[in-house]
Amino acid sequence: MSEKETQYFIEAYEEKRAALPGAGGWLARRREAAMDAFREAGLPHRRLEDWKYTDLRQTLEKAAFAPAPAHEGAVVLPGRRSASAFASIDRHVLIFVNGRYRADLSQVAHLPKGVELHALADVVHEQWAKDLVERRFDDARQAENIVDLNTALMSDGACLRVRKGVKLDKPLHLLFVAQDAGASHTRNLVLLESEAEATIIETHVGEVASFTDIVTDIAIGEGARLNHVKLQDEASDAVHLATMRARLAADAKLSSFALTLGCGVSRGQSFVLFSGEGAEANIDGAYALRNKQHADQFCVIDHAVPACTSHTLFKGALDGKSEGVFQGKVIVRPHAQKSDGRQMTHALLLSRDAAMNAKPELEIYADDVQCAHGSTVGELSKDSIFYLRSRGIPEDEARRLLVLAFLDEALDLTPHDLARDALKLLVSEWFGEVAL
Amino acid sequence: MSMLEIKNLHVTVGGKEILKGIDLDIRAGEVHAIMGPNGSGKSTLSYVLAGRDGYVVTEGSVRFKGKDLLEMSVDERAAAGIFLAFQYPLEIPGVTTMTFLKTALNAQRKARGEEELDAVRFLKLVREKSKPLNVSDEMLKRSLNVGYSGGEKKRAEVLQMSLLEPALAVLDETDSGLDIDALKTVAEGVNALRSPERAMVVITHYQRLLDYIVPDVVHVLSRGRIVKTGGKDLALELEKSGYAEYGADAA
Ligand SMILES: Nc1ncnc2c1ncn2[C@@H]1O[C@H](COP(=O)(O)OP(=O)(O)O)[C@@H](O)[C@H]1O
Ligand SMILES: [Mg+2]
Repeated sequence: MSEKETQYFIEAYEEKRAALPGAGGWLARRREAAMDAFREAGLPHRRLEDWKYTDLRQTLEKAAFAPAPAHEGAVVLPGRRSASAFASIDRHVLIFVNGRYRADLSQVAHLPKGVELHALADVVHEQWAKDLVERRFDDARQAENIVDLNTALMSDGACLRVRKGVKLDKPLHLLFVAQDAGASHTRNLVLLESEAEATIIETHVGEVASFTDIVTDIAIGEGARLNHVKLQDEASDAVHLATMRARLAADAKLSSFALTLGCGVSRGQSFVLFSGEGAEANIDGAYALRNKQHADQFCVIDHAVPACTSHTLFKGALDGKSEGVFQGKVIVRPHAQKSDGRQMTHALLLSRDAAMNAKPELEIYADDVQCAHGSTVGELSKDSIFYLRSRGIPEDEARRLLVLAFLDEALDLTPHDLARDALKLLVSEWFGEVAL
Repeated sequence: MSMLEIKNLHVTVGGKEILKGIDLDIRAGEVHAIMGPNGSGKSTLSYVLAGRDGYVVTEGSVRFKGKDLLEMSVDERAAAGIFLAFQYPLEIPGVTTMTFLKTALNAQRKARGEEELDAVRFLKLVREKSKPLNVSDEMLKRSLNVGYSGGEKKRAEVLQMSLLEPALAVLDETDSGLDIDALKTVAEGVNALRSPERAMVVITHYQRLLDYIVPDVVHVLSRGRIVKTGGKDLALELEKSGYAEYGADAA
């Protein structure tokens, strides 16, 4: 492979590897192997089924991102409301600038005993970190290959371990700010031991041409519970690639909600693997896009063991020439009886030029299961708009009310009440913004 | 003063002429009933007044309080005081009736340059208007018209009307599908709004409603034309003779 953008990443690796976390140890060897695999495969393109609607190769070739510089000085939070959307929630805040943790800007109050929170470089020598980084869910999954790029180049990240039975006292907020143009590669590691509980809120903002490559590896122990809320709102010339891999032990529960206000091109990948019975995963989200924004949600739920429940609902509003993608798969392995898997996606086209590609799939090898999937693409009802206007509600306001009503069903799944209210407010304000 | 003045109104829908020269003059304080067989164009007339898309005026004029109504947008008409109680109110999932009412009232107040009502004053007002119509708090919290029975939908329309206090209310078959108790409740709600400054057009297929909302003038609409106009006794006459002589097809 010799395309230009692959070369950028290879050069960045050659240049930086000695300075990256874990030099000289297992991680250095792991990075080397990942880089070899990346070199071999190159960037994914639309001829691969998993990347059919989002050609990352083409996107990155056009943008040509050099590595983002380390940013030392003061940081001006972007004017976007998203940057301060969660400000009123009592929380621990970790701030990352250009993908690097900035202790001087962060606010982490005293953590409860049994909660360990570190930057990536400080945990790479620990076995649990190694287990998470080395874990691969499915060797055959094309979409998972891109994690190799992150493994080779990851420079920082938030690593949270919550010991058995411990509850993180307040939400952990990871605020990622792209301050300067360029690429950053971040790896978060989350380990909840049995019966532990935590809520993580994640925000991505920026007003520069950034490429955010972020992978979050999660292991949730027996009976443990993780809530995850993600908000992504970056510049129109930014590219966002996020992968979440979560493995759930028996009776574990994961509730993840992502609001994508997007950037130029964004792709959110979720891989869930059930490894113990009675676990539950909710992977939900909403998006609102305009202009030429492109947002892709890719979601694979693997019912590898019996009696687990998964729920996925993505709803989105597409204005301008924007494009939405949902590719999802629920896999039920042969012995995974009593599985309950649901995957739904609904899009509302607000303009003639907007488009949606939806491909939810079921792959079921067990017989005693309850599974459903579906997708719809629609427009605002003219009759409904007329009804609202006939009561004196101006057309813009009528459309806003109807779109919010449409998205509410998804937004209501946000697993934290104050965060949900904050997201709803953002979405309602999204309509007031002038198209760029 | 003339509230609504319709002259030689011709309207086509989907290329087909439905209204074929309507003349109507309604003055403030008056209640006019429009009766007629199914398909005669009653709802079409109500939609033209509200400004619905797809109803094309090919000839004639409509003046509302002296202004050219046809020049105004749908929401401008509402803010200026036109209200249509729909024959088939729409269901709006996800928008609670309460949110809808508040948005509508404040949008109209804003358009008229009046102060918007805060949550407390609005709630007080809505409770006061809901009570006589038997609209419960629980109903107000539900999505607009979703899961409402036929009668609840009609009561919700009348609630909207009493809250918005229009100058001209057009009620399109607000009586259809109501039992006698619900009919009385709705009629009381409508009668409470009767005033010298307000005019009403009550569209109905049956005479029954007019026992409770007594009209000043009754018109018979048939095949897109007003074929007869009279006093309230005309409704009683129709009750006896039916619409046969006015060209009812399958009514
Ligand atoms: N959208 C439409 N397209 C074509 N014809 C219509 C449409 N709506 C109504 N019509 C026709 O217009 C005529 C009048 O309908 P309508 O005004 O609903 O009558 P009414 O309310 O008196 O029963 C009917 O013949 C009906 O079939
Ligand atoms: Mg009708």
